[in-house]
This record gives sequence, structure tokens and C-alpha cells, in this order.
Amino acid sequence: MKHSIKHLHSGSCADIYRHLCENLDSQFETEECKRIREHIEQCDTCSALLDSLKKTVYLYKQETVPAMPKTLEKKLFAVIKLKKKQKHSPGK
Amino acid sequence: MRIIFLPTEIFLSFSIQKILYDESSLKQTASHTTQASSDSEQSLISRAKNGDERAFTQLVRNYEQTVWGFAYKLCRNQEKAEESFQDTFINVYRKLNQFDGRSKFSTWLYSIVANNCLMNRRKRKIEELLESLDEAPDVHDETIQKQLASWDDSPIETVINGEMRTALDEAIQQLPDDYKAVFVLRDLEEKTAEETAKILQLTVPAVKSRLRRSRIFLRHKLHNYMKHE
Repeated sequence: MKHSIKHLHSGSCADIYRHLCENLDSQFETEECKRIREHIEQCDTCSALLDSLKKTVYLYKQETVPAMPKTLEKKLFAVIKLKKKQKHSPGK
Repeated sequence: MRIIFLPTEIFLSFSIQKILYDESSLKQTASHTTQASSDSEQSLISRAKNGDERAFTQLVRNYEQTVWGFAYKLCRNQEKAEESFQDTFINVYRKLNQFDGRSKFSTWLYSIVANNCLMNRRKRKIEELLESLDEAPDVHDETIQKQLASWDDSPIETVINGEMRTALDEAIQQLPDDYKAVFVLRDLEEKTAEETAKILQLTVPAVKSRLRRSRIFLRHKLHNYMKHE
């Protein structure tokens, strides 16, 4: 059963805040992580904060990168060829 | 008892389980493959250093999609990403002899792309704001609770529309470049804190604090696009 946040000390939420923002997918294996998991299970605010941070990352992951332009590789090799030619030209 | 079912959590939970399953079932094969590809990569690098053009071409082809993806996510602009792609591989061509193999080749490549994008690092007002995000919010504050509730009420699939795409772009563009690079490397490219630190030449605690502040900043910038009661 989740408790109302009024039943929790804001100090403990503040303590959890930093950890939550760094470790969204922590496996909660250490003692500290277990304590944090227990807190999240009891605290609607921290649970909502964790959820909103995960959603933020999820939204960015949904963005698509356009396909690499087909001509880009060709242009690159042409520039490198030119630079190589310049490097080996006399007087350069 | 209040149970919150969140699509994001379900998605992440499935993703983690899938990764664990795939990793376990493919562990043996992967170990052989990694060894083989690492050997062939070392040989490619060594041949390219000795002026073998075919080896250099192959090296470019092996990594061009990685460089393109990372450059685009950092620059968020087609023209700048193309420039960064070009500059990165020209640097690789020029400086390949300086690559000593102590780090992974991909780490070296990522650092070249990031350096191209981090030319103008300077402390801006936005960085002062980001540092202020280290303070935990007052959980009893009604505004904070309303903001969090708006995320809770928004089915994540329905908010990804054109307006949200613009909002995502505008929010991330406000981050200083080194913060943006940490966010992209850790959360989008899924690099570890240690590898991100190597790529950006930062300490691991600096990577962690930048990631924490970036996530909170972006969440704060996006909450207006979440459904309000």
C-alpha cells in the first residue's frame, strides 16, 4: 500500500532525489538501492518523478535519425583523395 | 492500493528482459565474434596506418553509421551533421597514427565527433540554472505535484506528435554542448558512465552530475506538453 506523501518526511525524498535522477534503471542490488526501492514503493511523488524521468528519456529515444545521405561517403573519399594529392604535390 | 501501470516502465522492463535473455543465449557466440572482430579491426587499423587505402575505406564503412548517428544526435541539423561527419573522418585519416590502441577505436571516434561539437564550451547562464537543479524540489509544493501528475496522466504514445518533436528539439538545444553530449552518450547511445567520461575527457562524477541535471532540465521543459487535468 502506498502512503500519502504527507506521511513521509520531505528529507528522505530529498535524499532519494539525487539517486533517482542518476540511476533510472538501477537493479537495486545494493543495500542503498533496496532502501531506495522501498521508498519509491511507498512514495507517490518519488514514484511519479522516476516515471516522468523515464518518459523523458523514452521520448528522446523515439526520435529518428534521418538516413545517412548516399553521397556523403563519396564526398568524403573525394576530399581525402584531394588532401592526399595536395600532400604529395611538390611545393605543398 | 494504488497501482500505476506505465507504458514506459513496461517497455523498459521488456527491453531489459530481452537484453538479459539475448546476452545469456548469445554469450558464447558473442565472445568468439568479439574476439574475431577485434582481431580484424586491429589488423584493419594497422594496415590503414601503413597507407593501405582499402583498409582505411573498410574502417570508414564499419563506423560511418555510428558516426553519422552520433553526429546527427549532437548537431540536430542535417548540414552540421554532414560537416561533423566529414571533419571526423578527415581527422581520423590525419591522426590515425596517433591512435595507440589503449582505448577502443569507437571511443576514440566518439571523442573526435564530440570535440568537433564542443568547440565553444563556455559557462552560460543556463549552466547556473542546471547547477541549481541539484536541490531536491519540495515534495509538498502543489505546483510540483501538479507537474508530476500531468506526466502520470499522459499516455506516452499519444504525446509524440509534431508539436512534441519541436519541443524535444528546442529543449535539448538549450542544454550546453557538454551536457547534451553526456545525455546523448549515456541515454541515447547507451554508453557507460566510464566510457562517456573517457570520450568527453570528464571525470565519472562530472558525467553523473551532468546527466542528472540534463534529465531534470529536459523533463521540466517538456512537462507543459503533458496532459493537464
